[in-house]
Parts: sequence; structure tokens; C-alpha cells
Amino acid sequence: MSSESRRARLLVYVRRHVWIIAAGMMLVTVGVAIGIGVLPFVLCHAIDGLASGEFTLPHIGGLAAAYVLGAVAASLLSLFTRRLMLGLGHRIEREIRDDIFRRLTELDLLFYSRERTGDIMTRMTSDLGSVRECLGPGLLQSSRTVIGFVMAFGVMFVMNIRMAVVMLLLLPVTSGIFFGLLRLIRKRYELVQEQSSHLSNFTQESFAGIRTLKGFAAEQRQTDRFQQVSDTFMSRNLALSRIDRPIWPLMGLIFSLGSVALLVVGGRLVIQEKLTIGQFVQFNQYLVLLQWPMLALGWLANIVQRGIASWGRICTILESEPAIRDAARTDRSLTSISGRITFENVSLSLSGRQLLHDINLEVPVGTTVGITGPTGSGKSLLGYLMARLIDPDSGRVLVDGRDIREFPVRIIRGHVGVAPQEPFLFSDTLASNIAFGLPEEHEERIIWAAEVAQLREEIDLFPEGFQTVLGERGVTLSGGQRQRTAISRAIAKDPQILILDDVFSAIDTHTESRLLQELLPVLRGRTSVIIGHRVSTLRHADVVFVVEQGRLTQCGSHNELIRQDGYYRELDEVQRLEARLESA
Amino acid sequence: MRKHLADDSTGPILDPHLARKLLAYAKPYRVPIAWSVFTLLLMAMIQGYLPVLIKKAIDDYITATSAEINASIRIQGITHVAWIFISLSGAVFLLRSGQGYLMSWIGQRIIADLRMDLFRKLMRMPLKFMDRTPVGRLMTRMSSDIEAMERAVSDGLIGLIADLFTLLGVMGFMLFLSWRLALILFLLLPFLFVGIVLLNTQIRSAHRNVRKQQSTLNTLLQEAITGMLTIQLFSREENMHARFGEHNHTLKDAWIRSVYWFSCFFPTMEVFRALSFSLLLIAGGAAIGFGIKGVSIGVLIAFFAYVREFYRPLEDLSDKSNILQSAMASSERIFGLLETPEEIEDPVSPKELDHFKGLIEFENVTFAYEGEDWVLRDLSFVIKPGEAVALVGATGAGKSSVASLIARFYDVQKGRVKVDGVDVRDYRQADLRQRVGIVLQDPFIFSGSVASNISMNDPDISRERVIESAKYVNADSFIRELPEGYDTELSERGATISTGQKQLLALARALAQNPDILLILDEATASVDTETELLIQDALKKLMKSRTSILIAHRLSTIRDVGRIFVMRRGKIIEEGTHAELIQKEGYYKTLYELLGSDRNIT
Repeated sequence: MSSESRRARLLVYVRRHVWIIAAGMMLVTVGVAIGIGVLPFVLCHAIDGLASGEFTLPHIGGLAAAYVLGAVAASLLSLFTRRLMLGLGHRIEREIRDDIFRRLTELDLLFYSRERTGDIMTRMTSDLGSVRECLGPGLLQSSRTVIGFVMAFGVMFVMNIRMAVVMLLLLPVTSGIFFGLLRLIRKRYELVQEQSSHLSNFTQESFAGIRTLKGFAAEQRQTDRFQQVSDTFMSRNLALSRIDRPIWPLMGLIFSLGSVALLVVGGRLVIQEKLTIGQFVQFNQYLVLLQWPMLALGWLANIVQRGIASWGRICTILESEPAIRDAARTDRSLTSISGRITFENVSLSLSGRQLLHDINLEVPVGTTVGITGPTGSGKSLLGYLMARLIDPDSGRVLVDGRDIREFPVRIIRGHVGVAPQEPFLFSDTLASNIAFGLPEEHEERIIWAAEVAQLREEIDLFPEGFQTVLGERGVTLSGGQRQRTAISRAIAKDPQILILDDVFSAIDTHTESRLLQELLPVLRGRTSVIIGHRVSTLRHADVVFVVEQGRLTQCGSHNELIRQDGYYRELDEVQRLEARLESA
Repeated sequence: MRKHLADDSTGPILDPHLARKLLAYAKPYRVPIAWSVFTLLLMAMIQGYLPVLIKKAIDDYITATSAEINASIRIQGITHVAWIFISLSGAVFLLRSGQGYLMSWIGQRIIADLRMDLFRKLMRMPLKFMDRTPVGRLMTRMSSDIEAMERAVSDGLIGLIADLFTLLGVMGFMLFLSWRLALILFLLLPFLFVGIVLLNTQIRSAHRNVRKQQSTLNTLLQEAITGMLTIQLFSREENMHARFGEHNHTLKDAWIRSVYWFSCFFPTMEVFRALSFSLLLIAGGAAIGFGIKGVSIGVLIAFFAYVREFYRPLEDLSDKSNILQSAMASSERIFGLLETPEEIEDPVSPKELDHFKGLIEFENVTFAYEGEDWVLRDLSFVIKPGEAVALVGATGAGKSSVASLIARFYDVQKGRVKVDGVDVRDYRQADLRQRVGIVLQDPFIFSGSVASNISMNDPDISRERVIESAKYVNADSFIRELPEGYDTELSERGATISTGQKQLLALARALAQNPDILLILDEATASVDTETELLIQDALKKLMKSRTSILIAHRLSTIRDVGRIFVMRRGKIIEEGTHAELIQKEGYYKTLYELLGSDRNIT
């Protein structure tokens, strides 16, 4: 995407708040006008009066009161501008964050298998923060700087050209040096960051590999090596300190030199009676007032640079297009499915590796099929294809004889229930986890689903039963409980197609047989797909498909398959032996 | 620029107990610290003196009205003052930069010392501790907690001292120039402090709320991202979005509230500054009007400068107290870790050890990793020097615990583990483990070259020894095929080489140490190709020939060749003998053997 379209994308947000910005600019202008155009004059006037001895106490008192009043007014204005403009940053940040999240809900398996959670989080936190920094403080500071400069130099040039020139010379020097130093700092900071990640990798590896290190009595050597990494980190930090520490003293020095220049030029002018002492003080005040705006130019350039880079990274999410979505071919009249599944020459590749080759299979409505095969053979992908988490590269997946891509995604998802092997449960109550696919928490359904999955008794033992919040106060579920919760979650929504993807792997054999007893009638009422390794479960399927290295190698009922040479029979034999070992 | 990562704690800014421990770390650097403080003092003095110079220029030259000095002398005077001003400013610049660098030098050293101590401590902690502590938590100690302390040492603490000196310096010089004006100005101070404290309280509580909301949102976000496919499968996108939107709003509102209070801060300071200026004008004007000695236009202008100097340090006072506070919370966690008992310790007078003959004895060993979950129950056996023994059994039978106990990764609860007739607890851990070579089930590959992974960075292991070991265990040929041979850089977890190659590397690693006792936790992995599998089997046989070895075996071919086989079940040895004897018995071993033989070992 071009940087132009990215800028346009950001401007959309800014434009929504154009009135806030306009109001902010007005407040800034008035506030700065008081701070620069009024207050220094009051002070100048007072000092001149005092110096000449013309003023009496009430006179001074009046001026002092005026000064305080002016300052209060300017401060109030500055307060409101801050609230307005800094608040604006946070408002826009919220809108952008909301849009990113919406996009995240639309993106599919391909995106999530490509992107790491940590990277997405970084974009939604620190990158978004840099963008907000540009919009809130950045906009505020740049408007104050520009308006302040225009007014201050206007006033100064009217008052005395020579003094104004002295001040003007200071501007490029300070902001130039400041900007340059900030860049240098950033470079050295990157070196520090690099070593810091090296340090943290080394540490991480030392902890993860502690068994090996201890086994070889290598802790001391590892510590010595750590010392080296740590020392390098320190020296890079010190290299950074060598510029990052003197930067403020240097700016201080430059401003000191500026005030010396004012003293020399201004002092001479006062002596020549071309400038009053009050005006001299006034110029000094401008030096103080413009001190930060001069630096701000360098600072602004820096945060804008960072903000642009961050916005670019955010845009990579906003610009990602989900592959699985309703499109032109979607037939919106399709609102329900009966559950017949057909694969026609389905092939699938992920990140350059072909994982499924030419799969053909047929699951009639209301049947229970089993899918098995070695780890990594691609059997889970068949489930993904049926739930349309992913689309095939070639061939078609048909539901009720129509291409699955013709159904609205919501309709497919609404009628397909999936329980995955490593289920993701939310840190919410057990009830809402089970009712996750339901429009509302339907108590009877939740209890029914939990009973089928043999969860009921265990849940009753939890402190707050179904209302127990997972992950809180140390309530965690065992692997088997998690799988059974996933089963109840999938059946609770009463889907036409139920896919159980290796959900029995962590469930002990005793619980499994009780579970099957309850579950089988539920499976019979719909099209069911059991993906897994256990013959004890697979034997209940009407048909079992064996997938090896992405190809369908065997297909038939349990009784047929155990009579054939092949994967299924070996599986059966191994599991018999294991059972014997267990009971020996 | 450094990131300001403020705290989330409400604790005290300075806990005396923790401060004492921190002070111990500062002790080696007391001389540079003293210098640093001295420099700060000097700086405060010079900086306080600069307005006096301005006053001199104004009163003596610029506004001098007496006729006896003419314009050119006055201009010369100003130039003279200007030169002094420039030199003093130059000095301040040098002092400030030098002091800043010195301080960061001290801070970096102290933190590096602390980091080393922490690392050393963690390297010494027993495996039991490492098993139950997530690596992530240890990483937080080593990174963000250490960082928080670094900021506190080099910015917070010294910053506060510098600010204090500046404030005191400014106040001193004000009193010196005109104590009457100074005292009048000080009248504002109580109001100022009350104002700052009130605002700071609000700002901090608002900020705490922001952090709370931010972390709630981040938790939700993290969960939503990892569970997104589940959300999509159950068509809960809208729902999730609504929930997220709500939290997003709450976070924004928290920010707006924080901005609300934060926006008051600078304007409030501004108003106080203006009040000080007005007071100065009135009091100064009155003093000049009544001709009170020592108050002049120059004094007044100098006072304006002092007022500005005075307010500057107050502006980031809350930042600094935040830094200190969060460092206190971090240092508590760090020192807590540093003081954790180590459990497995070296004996006071360890048994000296050069070589093992290789006699291993288990005497009624009972062992559990946690509580009373016994993994080994009353286990006794003897392995003679030079003998090779295979341990077989189902998962969880206690095989690998036997190996871990010989290397003293854990201590037994009852009974004794003896090597060469001496309890392993009587050897120094490092000595023991140097003589005992271990090949782990899941070989850990460190980032670094292939050679350093074999030598484990031991300088005593020469390059020749590395290559010789690799050749002996059949690893040499695949290593030579890597882009840079033995100097090829491997990444963490060894992503660049296959599982089988990793296992060969682990064998070479164990052999390179030339151990007297070899413990092999071997696992037949499905993903090892047949060719590599044969290489591994061959290497294992060769390795076990010349030393006492215990093989925790899954590979049939290797078990068969081992002289003695212990069959373990639930922490006990239930059968023992040669392969042929055990098969004849038709017991547990036979079933196990058939299972392993079926080569589709799914457990």
C-alpha cells in the first residue's frame, strides 16, 4: 500500500474531530496571545516604572494584579487546550483500536498462523501509543510552537530588530543540534536494544537449558559468558549515556549563551537609551518562553518519524484482507443445512508445503465417520475444511451438494460444532464457556451438555459450580476436563455437523467409556466426524477414513479395516498390547 | 530517549529494609558517588551565582546613573561580566554532563552487579525450583524488574538529590541577595506544596486507574487473539467486539480522567509563578520606593531568574517519585529471589574426586518430586564398574528419575545414592556432574556454533577432541555438510537441524567430556529417518562399551545388546536379567517388548 493511502486512512480519523481541533487552535491562539502579547508587556511596564521611580505602590499593585489575572486567564486557556487536544489523542486512539479489533475478528486462520500474538499486541499497544503521541501532544505542541513563534517574533521585531535577530539566530542552532542529537541517540539506543534482546535471549536460553547446563557442570562457564554479554550491554548503555546525558546540559549551555548575547547586545542598547530596562527584561522573558518551543521542533520531528513508522505497522493489519468471507458467489437464500459433506479432489497447501492431496470422500447426512492417521498426516485439516476455517487450493468441499463457499460464513459456522484437541477456553464462568455458541445462556442446555460430557459431577465440586470463573483463584481445569468442556460447548449449540478433533487424547479410558455411552446418541442425531487415535472410539463410527501423509489410504467400517493390512490394524494391535500392559 | 514505564504499586517510596540491601550494592562505588554528590553541590552553587552576575551587570553598568562612569566603561563592564557568565556556563555544562555520565556509570555498574548476582543465583537454584517456576517469571525478574531499578538508581535517586540541592541553592542565594524579599516569597511555598501534593495524588490515582484498565484490556485482547478461531467457529465476533468496545471505552475514559488532572499541573505551576512575580513586583517596588538598602532593579531581575529556577525541579517531581516507587516493588521481588534457599547445596568438606571407577549403588531409595507422590519406592540395586544396564518400563515408571538422582539433580527423601561407595551428597555438584555424562531425551541446542555446542564452551576441550567425538558418534558427516561445518551457527532449540541430528550432537557432547559414567535418556522419535536411526544405534553401542552406562531405552536393538536389563514398574524393579532370560519368563517384559517391537509406539 502506498504511503499516500495510509496517510488518507489516518486523516479519516482526524477529520472526524475537525471541530475539536479548530476549537483547540483558537484556544491556543488566545492563550499564547496573552502569554506573549500581554504579560511580558505588563512586566516591562512595571520594571520601567520602578526603574525610573515614577510609579507609586498602588500603581505597581494594579500592574501586579493585572499580571496575575492575565496569567490565570492564560493558564485556564492552556488547561482547556491540553484537555481538549490530549483527550483528542485518546479518542482517536480508541477509534483506531476499535477498528483494528474489528479487522482482527474478520481475519482467518491464514493470518493467525502467520502472525505472532506478541506482534499483534505490540501494534495495538506501543505502536498505537506512538501514533497517539503524534496526534495528541504532537498536534498540541506543534500548534503552540508555530503560533508562539509567529507572535513572539512579530512582537520582538516591532520592539527592536537587533535583539530579535539575536533570538532568531538561536532558533536553527538549537533545534538543529537537538534534532541531530536525538537521531544519534536513537541510533545508539537501537544498539542498546539489540544487545538487550541478546541479553534476554541468552538468559532465556540459560533457564530453558538449565538441565543440560547442570548436567555438564557448565553453570560457571555459562555465568562467565553471561558476564561478557552483560558487560557489552553495559558498555553500550554507557555509550548511549555519553550523548544522552549531556543533551540537556548542552541545551542549557546554548540558552545561557543566548542570554549572554542578549545581555551584551541589550545592555549596550539600554546604555545608548535605545531600549528600556523593562524591554531588556521582556526579551529575556521571550528567551525563556521560546526555550521549549525551540527544542520542540527537534522533538516533534522525532515523534512524527516514529509515529509514521508505527502507523505503517498498524496499517499492515488494517490492510490485511480475510480470505474466508462472504463474496459475490454467496447465496444469501441459503439459511440452513442438512449435513451431507462431500470432498471433491481437495488439495491444500500451507506456507508452500502441500498437506492434502486429492482427497475424495462422502459423509451422508446423519452418519458418524472416523478419521485417523499418524500425527501430522493432515487429518485435522479435514475438520478445518468442513468448518470453513480454510479453503482448499483446488477441488471443492460441498455441503448438501453445494460448494461450501456459496453458503454465508455465518450459516456454516452456525450449523457446524467443533471441539478441538487443545481447546481454547475463555477466562469466564464455566456456564458461559459451555454456552459460548448460544445466543443466551440457556441453563437447561448447559446442564444437559455438561452431563453428556461427564462434567456435571466435577463442576458441582467447584466452589461456585457453573458460575466458577476459570483461571481465577487458581481454578484451572485438567487437560481432560478442558477437552470435555470443549465437547459440551460444541454439542450445546446443537449443530447439524459435529466435529470432534482428537478430543479424547487427555481423557482416561474409564471416563471415556462413560462419556461415549452418553455421547453416542447425541452423535447419531446428526452428521458427526470423530478425528482421533483411539480404536475404542473409532469403532463406533459407521465409516473410518485413514489419512497418511495427506492422502486417503484406507476407508471402511471398523470390522472391515481390522481385517485389512494397514495403519488401522496396527493401531488396533498396539492399543491391545498397551491395555494388557496396563492391566498386568 | 528512555521510556517512562511507571509503576503499578502503591507502596512506600523508600523502604528502609530494602534500602539497606541496595546500599550494600552501592558500597563499592562510594568514591565515585561522593564525587558525584560533590559535583552536584558545586553545580548548585555556580548556577545559583549566575543571577548574581546578571544583577551586577544591571546595577553596576546597565542602569548605573551616576555620571562618573561613561558609556564605554559601562559597555566594557558588561562585556567583562559576559565573559565570566560564559565561562561559568561552560563550567556548569561540563560539570552537569560529567556528573550525568558518572551517575549513569555508577548506576550501570550497580545494576550489572545485581544482574550477575541474580544470574549466578538462578544458575545455582535446584532443578526442583526451575521445574515449578515458569521461565517467563524469571525473565521478568531479569529484565523489567532490573530495568526499573536501573532507572531508579541513575535517574530517580540522584535526580532527587540534584533537585534538592538546586532548591536549597536557589533559596540560599535569594536569602543572601535580600532576605526580606526572599522571606516574602517563601510565604507562597506552603500553598505551593499543598497544591502539588493534592494534584499529584489525583494524577497518580488517575494514572493507576489507566494502567489497571490498560492491563484489563490487554488481557482481553491477548485472549481474543489467541482464541480468535474459536470465536469465529462459534460466530461470536460481534459479541466479542462489543465486549472489547466497552473496555476500550473504559480505557479511553480513564485516560481522559488522567488527562483532566494532568492538564492542571503545568497551568497551576504557571499561576504560582505569576503570583511570585507579582509579589516580587509589589514587595520589590515598595522596597525600592522606600529606599530599603540592598534592593535594586538588578536584584529584582535576579529574583525573577531565581523564581524560574525554583519551579523547574518541581515539574517532574512526581515522575521521580513514581520511578522510585516502582523500583521498590521490583527490588523487593529481586531480593526475595536472591534470598530463596538453594536446597541442594555442596557439602562443607566435599570428597575430592579425580575419576570414578563407576560403581553405582541405590540403597532403599524413596523419592518424590513433590509431596508424597512417590516416583521411586524403596529401590535398591548395584551396577558394577564398566557395566552397561538398560532400564525399561512404561512412561512414569521412574526410569529417568534414577538417572536424575545419580547426577544429583534432586535429593532423595529416604535411602542413599552412592557412586564409588560415597553418597552423591558428599561430592561437590560440579565435580560429580563433570564425571557423569548425560544425554537428555530432548537435547537442548544452545545458540552458537556446532563446535561450541559439543564442547559446551569448555576451553579444556580442544577442537580435535570435538571433531574426534563427533566422528566417533557418527555426527561428523552431517556436520561437515552444514554450510560452515563445525562453525555453523545453530539457533535456539536447534531449528536448523533435524531431531535425529540433534540427538547425534547430544551424544558427541556427552562423549567430548569423557565421562566415567554415562546416563542416556534415549527416546525413539518417530520423526528420525531410518538412516540417522541406524547411526544413532551404532553410536550408542560404541559409547556404552568402555564405561559404566545406564540406558533408559526405547530402542529395541540397543536394549537387546545390553548385559543386564532392569524392568521398572511404579518405582520398583520388577524383573531383572538378560534379554533372553526375560523373554523366556513370559512376564511383563515380554509384553513390553512386543509393544516396542510393533514400532508404532503411541503413548
